[in-house]
Amino acid sequence: MLWAYLYFYQITLDTHQESGLSPVDSAHLEIPSSPVIVYCEKTNHIVQRNHAALQQGIEIGHGLAQAAALCPHVCIIPFNVDNEHLTLTQLAHRLYPLASDIVLDTHNTLAVRLDNLVHYYGGHKALWSTLTHELSQSNVHYHFATAWSIEAAKVLALKGIDRYYDNHDDIRQSLSHCPLSLTALNKKTKEALTRVGIHRVHQLLAMPVHELGRRFDNNTITYLTALRGEVFPRVKLFRPAEHFEHFALLPFDVENTQHLIPFMEKLLEYLAHYLRARNLQTSTLSFHIAFRDQPSNHLEIKSALPQSTSDSWLSLLKLRIENLVLPEPAVSLTLRCDNFEAIDDNNGDFFSNRFNDVAQKQLIGRLNAKLGEKCTFKPSISNTHQFEYMSNGPRLTKETVFSSDIVPTFLFEAPKPLTQSTQVCFGPVRLHSEWWHDAPHKRDYFIAQTRQGVRMLIFKDEASKWWAQGLFS
Amino acid sequence: MKLCAEASVYLEKTIPLSIILYIYTVFVGVMNKSVSALENHPHIWRAREQSQCEERFSLGYDQLDQALNGGVSPSGVVRIRTLTGIGELSLFKQVLSQHRSHKMIVFINPPGRVQTPWLEAFGINAEQVLIVKPHTEKESLWATEQCLKSTACHCVVVWNNAVTAKEARRLQVAATHNDALCLLFTAPNKNSDDVTQTLPISLDLCLHYREHALEINVLKQRQGWPKNNIVIHNKWTVDNRAIKWALEHNKVKRHVLHSVS
Repeated sequence: MLWAYLYFYQITLDTHQESGLSPVDSAHLEIPSSPVIVYCEKTNHIVQRNHAALQQGIEIGHGLAQAAALCPHVCIIPFNVDNEHLTLTQLAHRLYPLASDIVLDTHNTLAVRLDNLVHYYGGHKALWSTLTHELSQSNVHYHFATAWSIEAAKVLALKGIDRYYDNHDDIRQSLSHCPLSLTALNKKTKEALTRVGIHRVHQLLAMPVHELGRRFDNNTITYLTALRGEVFPRVKLFRPAEHFEHFALLPFDVENTQHLIPFMEKLLEYLAHYLRARNLQTSTLSFHIAFRDQPSNHLEIKSALPQSTSDSWLSLLKLRIENLVLPEPAVSLTLRCDNFEAIDDNNGDFFSNRFNDVAQKQLIGRLNAKLGEKCTFKPSISNTHQFEYMSNGPRLTKETVFSSDIVPTFLFEAPKPLTQSTQVCFGPVRLHSEWWHDAPHKRDYFIAQTRQGVRMLIFKDEASKWWAQGLFS
Repeated sequence: MKLCAEASVYLEKTIPLSIILYIYTVFVGVMNKSVSALENHPHIWRAREQSQCEERFSLGYDQLDQALNGGVSPSGVVRIRTLTGIGELSLFKQVLSQHRSHKMIVFINPPGRVQTPWLEAFGINAEQVLIVKPHTEKESLWATEQCLKSTACHCVVVWNNAVTAKEARRLQVAATHNDALCLLFTAPNKNSDDVTQTLPISLDLCLHYREHALEINVLKQRQGWPKNNIVIHNKWTVDNRAIKWALEHNKVKRHVLHSVS
């Protein structure tokens, strides 16, 4: 087995920065980022800080007072485990189309099983670049490592080795240097081990299991066998939710609804991607706008017609939000969508209206290849009132097209003498040929009907002979 | 009764009861199995399976649409046995001109030169029309199949008198799989044998012109019953009716200039 372990060490900070600045802004304007820290109230520690904060001297583990003293204008984001877990779940949703076995370990770590995927991606390199590309799309920072079990990979990832190993010897080599403090052994066990001089993982792994089993409890032994990769892991695999839900923490408190729209638009884009990938559409959306003190505001938007694109929803959203008054500044947004409808033939397939120029050209090419160039032709038209020259002009253009009441559907190659008895339904229409033609003629045209109901274009020439020239279908 | 009892006693003597029960259950099992196999046969169509929401292309004539459950199915083969020139194409004017206008309409082996101004008057964008003139009937069937399979065509209108059941099946499958319609015009048959020849297609129509009206017989249709003698008054060319009407209804008395009242 081969597992990759991903440790998103500043996931709150990453989501804050992503929602705060759109990539266009940050790329073009080169705004120097202001110092931002994530502060955990429970432990009174700074848990995450950005590069600007580091330059000011703020380190992870400092207290709030120390940080404020170092940098008075620092932006502080409160740390919230639930929010981090939500963001991690969203990341897992992004990865799920690419990897089947995903395990959400803690609020900021997840593990992906790789060995069963290598076959489909055609190699370790292709697989890993696919996964990392998806992660880079979501702009998150992470440490990663690979190993034969989740536990072993976790130790390596927490150490931050950021290397992809698929060779057992390499993994063993790097694992052996890891300090014992990174392992998930409980504090008591770690202390006991340190007391007897075991500081590194390789020392621990070198100990025979039955020796350890005499001194330590069952949990420790289970962990150690997992660390060695000797047991099949019993983990709960991540399964994507059947509904769509996306959470976004706002980078600042939004006081009016107009400023909410860009964030909502972003959520709608996520929804559009989600729907497009699954060939679905929806007719109801619900936004939850959360506030600090007040209960969250529930905003439901309905559309008469099921829709899938973000543009169509955005126009509805704008109308809906126009007369909404926020009771206090909003802090976070959630977009949820429960009811989906499959796009089928009746409500318009994605592909049915796609003009397929290539298919047309391919078809004409194939017909020409087999039947000959002269067998297929497009209708053409020329600027004349004479039936025999109407449809064999130059190529058709938009301007030259004209319609006429008495033009037949089909014209015979040459006029045939009229032999049947017919009854005239329409006419006469007298047409003279143009003087520059070789044999000018004058004809009286009629539409006539035979006894069987066939309507023909007939004419009487100057010699009073009757001819049939075309058919009306 | 007595005999039956005797027989059962005899059977009980010779064969244990459990075996009789076993034979009975096997027999019933085989029967059920054969019935269920029949039930699952894909060629059996049931009225309850008719999808209600299936889209239909209306022809624009109420009586005919009613007989066809709302109109022509958007994909599949429709055979029309008709003389050329009795308004058989005009019958499908709505189908041809009002749906899937971004796709092509292909005329294969038409009975004459298709006139561009007529196409425009008909409501078809002439730029989306392709006319194919194959040399043989076999080639025209090949071209029809290619057009249906290309997914670039809304409708393929083909004139062909040599379609067999096998070829019709191929066309039907190609049309339904690629969401295209095929109108197959054939000459009306004099032979009674040919009239009864049915093709595995969605719709089979026969047109006659009788007493200033078009009479349509629905010979066969999928998911519906045949129906005869649907009479339609369609006008597919201009006529002198307006002039005739004006002449007949000209009740205005001629005023004589010199008349003295």
